[in-house]
Amino acid sequence: MLRIDADGPRGAAIAQEFKAAPFGPYSADLQKTLQLLRWGYARGRTIIVCTRPYCEWRLGRMGPQRGMKVEIDDSAVFTDYGAAVWACFRARWQEVTGKPCPVA
Amino acid sequence: MINERILGYTDRLSAAPGDSIAFKVSAPLPGKYDARLVRLICGDDSPEGPGLKVEDVASEFAGSHKARQQPMQPGSFVWVTARHPFELANFTLQVMIWPTLPGNGKAQGILGNFDAATGSGYALYLDEDGCLAFRAGGNAPVSTGVKLLARHWYEVHASFDSGTGRVILGHKAMLPYHGQANTVSHTGAVPAPSGEGGRFLIAAWNDGKAAAAHFNGKIDSPRVSARALQPEQVARLRGLPLDVELAPYVVAAWDFSRGIGTVKVTDVSGNRHHGRTINLPTRAMTGWNWDGSEFNWQKKPAHYGAIHFHDDDLYDCGWRTDFTFTVPDGMKSGIYCAHVSQKSADGSLTEDYIPFFVRPRRGTATAPLALLIPTASYLAYANHQMPSSWWFEELSSCKFTTLNEYDRYLEEHECFGLSVYDDHTDGSGVCHSSFLRPILNMRPKTDLWQFNADTHLTDWLEKKGIPYDVITDDDLHAEGIECLRPYRCVMTGTHPEYYSKQMLDALQSYTNGGGRLMYMGANGFYWRIAYHPGLPGVIEHRRSEDGMRAWFSEVGEYHMSFTGELSGLWARNGRPPNMLVGNAFAAQGFINAVPYHRTPDSRDPRVAFMFEGLGDEPIGDFGIVGGGAAGWEIDRADTRLGTPPHALMVATATDFPDSYHWVNEEMNHTHSAVNGDTCPRVRCDMMFFETLNGGAVFSTGSISYAGSLSHNNYDNNVSRLTENVIRRFIDPAAF
Repeated sequence: MLRIDADGPRGAAIAQEFKAAPFGPYSADLQKTLQLLRWGYARGRTIIVCTRPYCEWRLGRMGPQRGMKVEIDDSAVFTDYGAAVWACFRARWQEVTGKPCPVA
Repeated sequence: MINERILGYTDRLSAAPGDSIAFKVSAPLPGKYDARLVRLICGDDSPEGPGLKVEDVASEFAGSHKARQQPMQPGSFVWVTARHPFELANFTLQVMIWPTLPGNGKAQGILGNFDAATGSGYALYLDEDGCLAFRAGGNAPVSTGVKLLARHWYEVHASFDSGTGRVILGHKAMLPYHGQANTVSHTGAVPAPSGEGGRFLIAAWNDGKAAAAHFNGKIDSPRVSARALQPEQVARLRGLPLDVELAPYVVAAWDFSRGIGTVKVTDVSGNRHHGRTINLPTRAMTGWNWDGSEFNWQKKPAHYGAIHFHDDDLYDCGWRTDFTFTVPDGMKSGIYCAHVSQKSADGSLTEDYIPFFVRPRRGTATAPLALLIPTASYLAYANHQMPSSWWFEELSSCKFTTLNEYDRYLEEHECFGLSVYDDHTDGSGVCHSSFLRPILNMRPKTDLWQFNADTHLTDWLEKKGIPYDVITDDDLHAEGIECLRPYRCVMTGTHPEYYSKQMLDALQSYTNGGGRLMYMGANGFYWRIAYHPGLPGVIEHRRSEDGMRAWFSEVGEYHMSFTGELSGLWARNGRPPNMLVGNAFAAQGFINAVPYHRTPDSRDPRVAFMFEGLGDEPIGDFGIVGGGAAGWEIDRADTRLGTPPHALMVATATDFPDSYHWVNEEMNHTHSAVNGDTCPRVRCDMMFFETLNGGAVFSTGSISYAGSLSHNNYDNNVSRLTENVIRRFIDPAAF
């Protein structure tokens, strides 16, 4: 099974590709990486929350079960959805690989 | 910041002149709330969209109304009518159970009249740790201390003897394992139950007038005996008919295999202590004795004596009516909403648009064109929580989960009931969905999916000045072809996915009889559902056998409880969508949409009317829903799957990226060529064909299509093509 090159040059190139075009099209390597970052339930993992319709997003996290408050990360407010998607990518990278995303 | 919202619902979705609609509203703030009637033209308030368009309409209910909060009470159970026969000195409670969430940290009532509000009565239940337990009054409960396995059948019982003050609590696993506590018996001291207790409930206990401690899982063959039975006697009462020697002691023996299509629960002890289900738990469930010898509950009901209860089942909120509205004669047919709103002291607004659909008087039309609002599909998606229900949601959508305002509200409030796309708390699939509750995604200013996406059609019709009536799936199901007969042309919504047999028969009869059908979406006529024959406002569905399933029905549970019909795909019921509209669901992807391109078939004189004013340019290389006219969910023609041989594929779209995934029902074996990059069957075909008696069908095969109509101030080739089709389809000249 593919392992993400979490802190190597190949991983950095993939992350850079996503940052440049978060909505694709994606190379095969990036597509595979995204599948690994997206595999499984979203609950408990970093997600994106729209906090003002069409104009403002934050990162967040659903609680352990339905009926609980969605945890909102107020440390960053995104007025561009693509920027929020990139931030989510970086957070997932850390969650899945255990290492920080090599691209800031 | 999301605050508690004002919310409402109606007692019906469709109303004709003379019909009265009751509005039920829960307002979070004390004092008053405002209400007004609006006609909804477009609900798309996105920056790229046409904007929210509503027209104020005079009504008697316009003005201020007294605000009140109305409760949500999810959770299913059985409520037994008789009360006093269960106030027993000595007794045995016994039942077969298949728990699905043992040890979820909550008590889960199984049988009894225990009332937590008064600390009276008794209950057999699972304790917070998932162990079988018994409690009487406010006394300390007795527990076996042995956690039950999830999704395994057990016979459980509690035998209480007031003379000794002892209870024998036990369970027996129907599937024993090596090294497991397969048979457990525990004796404990319990004072006699104090007080009368509450109502006798199955799968919950009382908390005053409400039910609490809901059970998750299946329950089969509950029995109450007025005697402290020994374990071997309990086993003798498991089946029916009741053991002759013990029958005189039986107070109640409920047989859930009777009345499966109803809310009735029948006591077969002879004492007539019948009950009824609340909040529609799932019936026609395989019971403890199901052995695979029969898969249709109607043929062997004795194997379907189980009901699956869930703590999040919700059929009818039962709110009180705030105001009513009687549709006046001459009211224009269309989509309407009661707009209700409240302002808090800090000036923030909470509002809701409570939709309903005004149709003409039955048997009449005010326009040659009817827009068939897919209310059954709206129900199927009602309050869906895919972001939390689907482990594969991000892989399917190729996006990171993004919660909008409504997703977040539903996630934070577990009481609104679910859609047939969701899992219950215990991971089992949701089979029922009703409109007797607020439906937060059947609203303007929400995602462009189903209801709100369909307002792109009303917006375009209004802009073009094309007269139309609105009718709904509810009408189509109830009235059949009579509902369609007044119209020369019927236009669908963007995603008419869920169809009952009555609805499908009516549409097929309509096109065979010379009617004209414009299929303005994709993935239509896909799943078979049933409306309940007696209960208003609720559909049932089973995710049987095949198809793009949100969850799997359990083996043996493919037949619906409401009607006994086999559910699942219409294609697996011998009625592929291709037969009705020429194409069928082929793929889905939600990143982008693409244009169609004309085919040689489009030069056929039979469709010359369709392309008047159009050249060879791509059709719909623009749009609000993905940037193109072909996308989101797409359909493909295939004569092998039922597309009529004379059908013309007038345009097709093929340039789909790898975010588009081919439907699995066409895939007999897994392989790697399943997406838009590699699978030639990931395609969107626009179709035309004539039907018997001068009728015709036009199919877009795309959910994105309607999102292209408003491009360039409604002056574009998708708009032109659609108008060409409507003008010809409402022309009485036979095809």
